[in-house]
Amino acid sequence: MLRLALKSLLAHKLRFAFTALAIVLGVTFVVSAFVTADSLRSTFDDLAADINTGTDFTVRGALPFGDITQATPPPVDDSLLDDIRALDGVRAAEGAFFVDGVIPTDGSGESPTTFGGPRAGSNWTADPTLSQYFLIDGEWPTGLSEFAVDVVTFADYDFELGRDYQVVTPTGPRTFTLTGTMQFGFPENAGIGAVFSVFDTPTAQQVLGFEGKFNEIAVRADPAADISTVRDRITGVLPAGTEVITAEEAEAEFGDAFESFIGPFQTILLVFAFIVLFVSAFIISNTFNIVLGQRVRELSLLRALGATPSQVRRSVLIESLVIGATAAAVGIGLGMLGALALEWLLSAFGASLPDGPLPLRPRTVAWAFGVGVGFTVAASLVPAAKAARISPVAGLGEQSGDDGGHGSLWRVIVGAALAALGLILIGRGLFADFDSTTAQLLSLGIGAAVMFVAVAVLSPLVAGPTVAALARPLPWILRTPGRLARDNAARSPRRTAATAVALTIGLALVAMVLVVGQSLKDTFGESLSDAVQADYVISTDTFSGVPETLAADLRSAGAAAAVPLDEYPAQILSPVAPGRLDDVELTVTDLSAIDEVANLGVIDGALEGLDPMSALLVAGDAADDWGLKVGGEVSVSLTSGETLAVTVGAVFAKTRPPFWDEWIIDESLHRQTAGGDRFDQWVAVNVDGDDPAASRAVLDEVVGAYPQATLEDRQEFQASLEANLDTALALVNVFLLFALVVALVGIVNTLTLSVFERTHEIGLLRAVGMTRRQLRRAIRWEAAAISLYGALVGVVLGLGFGVALALAIPDEVIDRVSVPSGQIILLLAAAVGFGLLAAVFPSYRAGRMNVLDAIAAD
Amino acid sequence: MTSSPTQALAVAARAVAASKIYGSGDTEVRALDAIDVAFDQGRFTAIMGPSGSGKSTLMHCMAGLDTVTSGQVIIGDTDLTTLSERDLTLLRRDSVGFVFQAYNLVPTLTAIENITLPMDLAGAKGDTEWVDEVVGATGLADRVKHRPNELSGGQQQRVAVARALAGKPQIIFADEPTGNVDSNTAAEILGFMRSAVDQMGQTIVMVTHDPVAASYADRVVFLVDGKIVDELEDPTPQGIRDHMTQLGA
Repeated sequence: MLRLALKSLLAHKLRFAFTALAIVLGVTFVVSAFVTADSLRSTFDDLAADINTGTDFTVRGALPFGDITQATPPPVDDSLLDDIRALDGVRAAEGAFFVDGVIPTDGSGESPTTFGGPRAGSNWTADPTLSQYFLIDGEWPTGLSEFAVDVVTFADYDFELGRDYQVVTPTGPRTFTLTGTMQFGFPENAGIGAVFSVFDTPTAQQVLGFEGKFNEIAVRADPAADISTVRDRITGVLPAGTEVITAEEAEAEFGDAFESFIGPFQTILLVFAFIVLFVSAFIISNTFNIVLGQRVRELSLLRALGATPSQVRRSVLIESLVIGATAAAVGIGLGMLGALALEWLLSAFGASLPDGPLPLRPRTVAWAFGVGVGFTVAASLVPAAKAARISPVAGLGEQSGDDGGHGSLWRVIVGAALAALGLILIGRGLFADFDSTTAQLLSLGIGAAVMFVAVAVLSPLVAGPTVAALARPLPWILRTPGRLARDNAARSPRRTAATAVALTIGLALVAMVLVVGQSLKDTFGESLSDAVQADYVISTDTFSGVPETLAADLRSAGAAAAVPLDEYPAQILSPVAPGRLDDVELTVTDLSAIDEVANLGVIDGALEGLDPMSALLVAGDAADDWGLKVGGEVSVSLTSGETLAVTVGAVFAKTRPPFWDEWIIDESLHRQTAGGDRFDQWVAVNVDGDDPAASRAVLDEVVGAYPQATLEDRQEFQASLEANLDTALALVNVFLLFALVVALVGIVNTLTLSVFERTHEIGLLRAVGMTRRQLRRAIRWEAAAISLYGALVGVVLGLGFGVALALAIPDEVIDRVSVPSGQIILLLAAAVGFGLLAAVFPSYRAGRMNVLDAIAAD
Repeated sequence: MTSSPTQALAVAARAVAASKIYGSGDTEVRALDAIDVAFDQGRFTAIMGPSGSGKSTLMHCMAGLDTVTSGQVIIGDTDLTTLSERDLTLLRRDSVGFVFQAYNLVPTLTAIENITLPMDLAGAKGDTEWVDEVVGATGLADRVKHRPNELSGGQQQRVAVARALAGKPQIIFADEPTGNVDSNTAAEILGFMRSAVDQMGQTIVMVTHDPVAASYADRVVFLVDGKIVDELEDPTPQGIRDHMTQLGA
């Protein structure tokens, strides 16, 4: 049976290749995801090891809650450095800084960009083994007017040693002389997509806003000393709220922090991989069904010659096993290429990764073969069972590739049951409470998958008449070829349905993304125009934000209001609800001016006359939830370990993340704590006069000194937010495109097989005078009709998913359902084009058939 | 009855020194060996010969389904050897009718749609009166809306003959049209073809190996090894059998 299965595969190489192609794409995705993620991991592991070489301990402020991905640990007093240096067993100790948002401007007025990577300010230290920086050229900077940049930035931009450049720091734009170039980590690590400006330690303290403080202290122990003893000694001199961690812990923490970015990246790629594989499974199942239908004669002969049903089943399964394994192997190869392409893409976005071989871990190979073989074999189970049921005399009757697909009760029952199960799972995913987002997404994903299977089961019941109806205009427009296209598309409902379902899945997901995206955009657009009253909004593409000096600079340049909006993780406690502790996002702003730029919708209390040092604003929902009223007492704990005692001054109706959330305090109160950085996420700006445009030049000049800041009026701001959202949606759709490519392969496959099956008919048509062009046209439009059917079902399903999702997502994010009908119509038109494209190869093959051979074919 | 007896003397199609050679050197096979043959208009000709004699090849080449290696094939005034693939297709559509042994009809089309298929492909309206007449002659007027799988084998072949007639082609080629049916059905199909020649003035060339079928023709041409070796006018089944015995077939 093994030999038979292999022979059968080799005899139909093209069909084999097409079947495998679908799985190859899915495996390629899986492998690319793992390899790229592993490659990034090893890069950053190396970097973490480099940085910590020579450092035995790091002393820093302890985060009372949250971790380093959410908040920067509070700084330590610089006096602690001498205490530590004085300890027995400590060879060396240095204070260190790492502050994002320090940006030099080069000689041409250009500022280096990093596509999200940090543009950091830091300090060099005398002890070379403790330093994370290595001098490449020139001198280390000393004193208040000198700095060094990393060598990659130096090479990529217009910098010269010895010249003066402006550097934006948390304490505002300043001018420094460039004295040298340096390298972060070991010199063999090229750039990591970051920009470094380095100062000496006292200068860093001053310009980075850390007077009397260090971010952290790096400590090296005497090689002879016992590490744990030294650690105990350090712990002994640490004040409360300070901690010491070992190099290993620091490395692990660095790794974890990085994993919190790379993990989701890998997961997202894997999700797309599974979508592609899921679609592939349908195509493989369909191909097997058609092929086995065409092989009835051969299989029944085998049965007549004494093959048992289980031998026949096994031969089909072996075939699928070989296809799956081959596809997995090819997929691994292509996946490595895909990873290369992804790396190239990432490096184009500023992150350069190490040379050397891509890491193909055993886990990746196991996954590739697991999913490749698993999906293929699973897809062939039903066809294999069907093949096993072929009777020994089946081949004696008239062989027919056409199937009925008529409404069997079985189909209705199974389909309806699956649809109900899918709906329950989706409903549960949308509306039930879940402990974890993963579980919720899993419920949604499995629900959607079950729905797709239900559609695949039910679709043959309606495919025939629906396709015929959709293709109704064809005979009018294209005459006989159109007539044949319509009839052929409708003649085998099960095959048409199975072919179309791949496209259905892809387009359902695209339509869903479009609906959710449009709803999100409309909600956001309206909430923005309703809530944000400012003439101008300053935003930034950096994580750190814009230096808080910007708001002050704008005010001194004559802005009527320049209101900062910033956000920090915090914990809320209140005597009105003893024992309750909520992790929240705390908005920090200027309470005296907030109502000039934002429409909070105050329900209770008033914004006027609030004491900035003790007032708290609470959103109505949160206030109700807590049972808080104006005058209620609340404790706000910050990541610096400090706790603020505040009183509810007003209750407001509208929360508008990311601008402001449910809990708001004044910036002057927050600035007194040690936890604040010196950056604002947003600045809302008002100008005097009826014509805001008149003041723009003045504002532009101020903002121009801050490379990370973008000034936009409300329309521009809204447009660029929408553009960002569009980019994200486009990216999602690009990935879904791979699922559509698989669907395309499926259509090509089915059509090729159908054409082969209709050899006689095609020969006859050609003999009685159908031209090649007419024949190709008939096949092209048959494909278009099938595609349109698949797309229509997909769009209907996708609209359903999208609307459900838009309804289920909290109102703060999406409060309406918007259907982008133009785009949906475009999608359907594209599906027709897709079908025409899929038919290129099969119709070419049909046209090339020799008329005589076709008629004489068995 | 649309053509007059004088036209019946004209030649509908002919081959001049037509050869068809497969392979070369030692493996060379001459399927047709410099054949000269003409088929008169308004007559029913049968081509007979043993297996491998080249009778099907001759028909295919005459009908524009295949090309000769050398020589000429002429239908009406058109030399097929000068035509492109596309022009050959159009010639088949407009000037030639076909009846095959099996698989004559497109399964998704009804009987009447199959009959008008070549005209529909041409985008021509066709002669509806003539089509009605042809349909009437098949005796299937009440079944024309049926699909092929709802018709018997004989009915399907009659529809195929009707399709060949419907476009008023210069000539109709039939390749073993009764090869797949029982003798009663065969008689029904052959009778219909005979009447198409007699009543409608059509020209039919039929390949067959059945002497009874060939006896419906006006003339039988015998082929052996790619050459025409004999002819018989107004044949009878017994006369044909005698000839075949002489030829050693």
